Amino acid sequence: MTLTVLILLPLLGAMVIALLPKHRPELVFPVAIGVSILPLAASLWILVNFATGDPLFQFTEDYVLSETFGFGWRLGVDGISLFMVVLTGILVPLAIAASKSIAERPKQFMVAMLVLEAGLLGVFLALDLLLFFAFFEIVLVPMYLLIGIWGSDNRLYAAIKFVLFTAFGSIFLLAGIIVLAIEGGDATGAVTSFDFRTMLSLDLSSTMQIWLFLAFGVAFAIKVPIFPFHTWLPDAHTEAPTAGSVILAGLLLKMGTYGFLRFNLSLFPDASVDLAVYLGILGVIGIVYGAAVAIAQPDIKRLIAYSSVSHMGFVVLGIFALTSQGLSGAVFVMISHGLVTGALFLMIGMIYDRRHTRLISEYGGLATVMPIYAGIFLFMAFASIGLPGLSGFVGEFGVLLGSYLTFPVLAILAGSGVILAAVYMLWAYERVFTGSVTNPKNEGLSDLGFRELAILVPLIVLIVGIGVYPKPVLDRIEPSVELILDRVEAQTDYDVTEYGRVDEVVEPRGIVGETTGHAADESGHGDEEGSG
Amino acid sequence: MNNASFLAVAPEVVVLAGALIVIILGVIVDRPRREWGFVAALSFLVAMVLSVVQWQAVDDLIADGSSLLFFSARSVPILRSPMVVMDHYSAFAGFAIFTVGLLGLGAVWALVQRVRDRGVELVALILLAFAGLHMMTISANIIMLFLGLETASIAFYVVAGFTRSRPEADEAAVKYFLLGSLASAIFVYGAALLFAGTGSTSFYGAGGMKTFLSATIVAEPGVLLLGIGLVIVGLAFKVSAAPFHQWAPDVYQGAPTGAVGLMAAGVKIAGFAALGRILIGALPTQIDEWAPILSIIAGLSMVIGTAVAVAQTDVKRLLAYSGVAHAGYIMMAFVAGDAGIGAMWFYVSMYALTLVGAFAIVSAVSRTSTDGSDLDDWAGLSRRSPELAWSMLLLLLAMGGIPFTAGFVAKVSVFTVAADAGYLWLTILALLTTVVGLYVYFRVAAKMFFAGPADDAPAVEVPVVLRTVIAVTVVSTIAFGVDPWPLLDLVREALPL
Repeated sequence: MTLTVLILLPLLGAMVIALLPKHRPELVFPVAIGVSILPLAASLWILVNFATGDPLFQFTEDYVLSETFGFGWRLGVDGISLFMVVLTGILVPLAIAASKSIAERPKQFMVAMLVLEAGLLGVFLALDLLLFFAFFEIVLVPMYLLIGIWGSDNRLYAAIKFVLFTAFGSIFLLAGIIVLAIEGGDATGAVTSFDFRTMLSLDLSSTMQIWLFLAFGVAFAIKVPIFPFHTWLPDAHTEAPTAGSVILAGLLLKMGTYGFLRFNLSLFPDASVDLAVYLGILGVIGIVYGAAVAIAQPDIKRLIAYSSVSHMGFVVLGIFALTSQGLSGAVFVMISHGLVTGALFLMIGMIYDRRHTRLISEYGGLATVMPIYAGIFLFMAFASIGLPGLSGFVGEFGVLLGSYLTFPVLAILAGSGVILAAVYMLWAYERVFTGSVTNPKNEGLSDLGFRELAILVPLIVLIVGIGVYPKPVLDRIEPSVELILDRVEAQTDYDVTEYGRVDEVVEPRGIVGETTGHAADESGHGDEEGSG
Repeated sequence: MNNASFLAVAPEVVVLAGALIVIILGVIVDRPRREWGFVAALSFLVAMVLSVVQWQAVDDLIADGSSLLFFSARSVPILRSPMVVMDHYSAFAGFAIFTVGLLGLGAVWALVQRVRDRGVELVALILLAFAGLHMMTISANIIMLFLGLETASIAFYVVAGFTRSRPEADEAAVKYFLLGSLASAIFVYGAALLFAGTGSTSFYGAGGMKTFLSATIVAEPGVLLLGIGLVIVGLAFKVSAAPFHQWAPDVYQGAPTGAVGLMAAGVKIAGFAALGRILIGALPTQIDEWAPILSIIAGLSMVIGTAVAVAQTDVKRLLAYSGVAHAGYIMMAFVAGDAGIGAMWFYVSMYALTLVGAFAIVSAVSRTSTDGSDLDDWAGLSRRSPELAWSMLLLLLAMGGIPFTAGFVAKVSVFTVAADAGYLWLTILALLTTVVGLYVYFRVAAKMFFAGPADDAPAVEVPVVLRTVIAVTVVSTIAFGVDPWPLLDLVREALPL
């Protein structure tokens, strides 16, 4: 019931807001903040009660709604989705808190935000593919309204582009799900079966796996977005209102990488192994391309948008490195990117509220008028670059470490992304904040107020917290990641490369040797060190 | 005449009786507008209840081993076969058709009141038309089916031109009449060829098409195929499937807005029910011949309907073209034969609901301007009348196939049965056109929600009856989107005999 309650809480909140009296518009903002705290509390409750070390789904719910069509309200949370859920719980209240300046139809805005939250939670919790798809797709509607109603000048174009791109991807996903459901139905004797766990036991031919991988992959690749499907992202992120950008970058993009992790790797292991290198290459292209384009952006929001393309490239590379470090690193980057980029979009929103421009050239020397703002921005810039001790470092380091095992060349190329990140972030910082105030409009700007600080401080604490001490997070991610890799190993003749192997060679045959020897025998493709 | 045979035609009797009472009331009572509505609504309600009774009676008849076929015309040698069938298929069709009738009556009520004394004609015509529509679904004989088709069509020709003062109404009525008659003629020719090919006009019973075809090798396969093709073309006209859809946009635009919903929705349900009765009920053995024809018509409808809808600037024309696309999606279900019937029912009944609701909203919005339905009239509707805008948005989302609306379940159902039947290309084509369709519907949403600065236009006034119709359609669209499973299980049993 816990997870159902979690999904229903934002919807209940939306209902409460919709029912607020028309002549009391001042109530909308505080009530919205209040109701958005509830899902946060619920997600933290799940985090606290999550059994660390258990790789399987927890808090599972399985209400079969249709025997005939094999559909059920099936939910569950594991180490991968856990942090996506918590991230959703954290970012939505912050995004709402940052939307005090919404004057146009504030009620509808808050309702859209909360419906969006329910959809996102559903995506991360669903264990039924039709249910997953339903949540995956419903997210489009509130986001379309958020961009279209409350966006900036070019919002109509950005909104419809966002919908068409993602919907175009979704149809392939739906086609893939239908094919899988029919296969699942044949296996279970029903018309169709949408149960994720039934699908895991299907024996799909490798050609079929490739096709289905591609069908699922297109949908997720557009969502991530993986180069060359990224063109919707800068428009949507830039035109969306602050809260919309935060949710887009912080959570919506993760739906794609989460999809790859949860469905592509587990359902189509053969195809994943075969296609891993191509996705790795696309990931690296994304890293370098996103960073390079970000350097040239005159619009600070667009710059951050392109930096998302780069960071999400790291996630993709980490996932398809198919190593424990790579996958854990990828999940960690997802969390960190949500916090850091969310914070950056929030901060751009704060300055936009004051000056109504996002052009870097309009600013300069802000550090003298807004020292606190400048300091926090610099902190976030370093977190985004991946400075050790901050959250960005842990994930990207894991990804590089993990991908070096399988794709050393790609890992080295990806490393350049970190350097490019320093270029675009610090250069942007220099142009906006350093020197003396050149534009007279910037002279009277007030520094951050209490509400704005209250929004940013939790993010700062989290970024430092998991950056300095990532163990509690990784302890929960790793078992679930290992389970996925075990499954890939069991279904294919692929061996997950590990750093540990080299040490095992020099160790005398003993307990350690027996365990590795077993794995090598089973796969039938024993590595050299197994016999050495 | 036994009880069961009376029950088989009871809904028609009730609705026709309602029509007669309304006409008589119109003559003898002074200004009885409200009473016409009560009588008509009551007839539809009773007919709905009778459909439910029929459904249960069918179970009993099957358990007793009794026949579900009635009214053999023994005196005429050619027609020595049952005329009417009562099965789950017809019972479900009845419930869906009369529900649409009832809701449609609510949507058209404002018009009935506005045209004063002429309103009685409109109410009576609607009742007559719906009796005809349901007759199409209970027919066990192609001549009966044609009678039902013509009863409904002729009544609807008049309804299309009902607001005579508008020039578009004349055009609509004439166009609908000419092209509709042509379609009827094609259908009759097809029926004649079916008779030539099988030696029977009856679908069931000894010597009926189904028994004949399952026992015999057809001597003249060409004649039969031509007959099948012409019957499909005739019905494709009626349900406005491409390339036989040209009348639809003009008729939708010219006909009184409140009435378009019930016309379009009613004809779609009955037309597809008739198609299923003939193809899957009577000619299941020839599926390899008619399924490819249908798949091509379905594909064309989706592509043409969606592509042309993109360019429309008039909401009624836009909905007309989107209706062409939806006809294509519904037709997809037929290629799976029996297995597709459930998906077909779910899709067509849910689409009918959204269509009635959408036209109810269109009629409410266009009432404030000049009965036109230019897309620009919708600009900023979410500010003027947020409830109306959100209702329309939900109905549009249902048409677009967004999850948690009935439209999504409907689309997934037909896509699944078509893919399962091996028509993967059709499924992929349907998925692609769905995306373009989303553009069409989101464009209307953009007009309502994103359009420029607030204008001073007053809030749209919605009469209580219309408000109820809109609420019922929106709520049921969402309810069947969230929990479609009981209905999906039910319609799987609504198979033709």
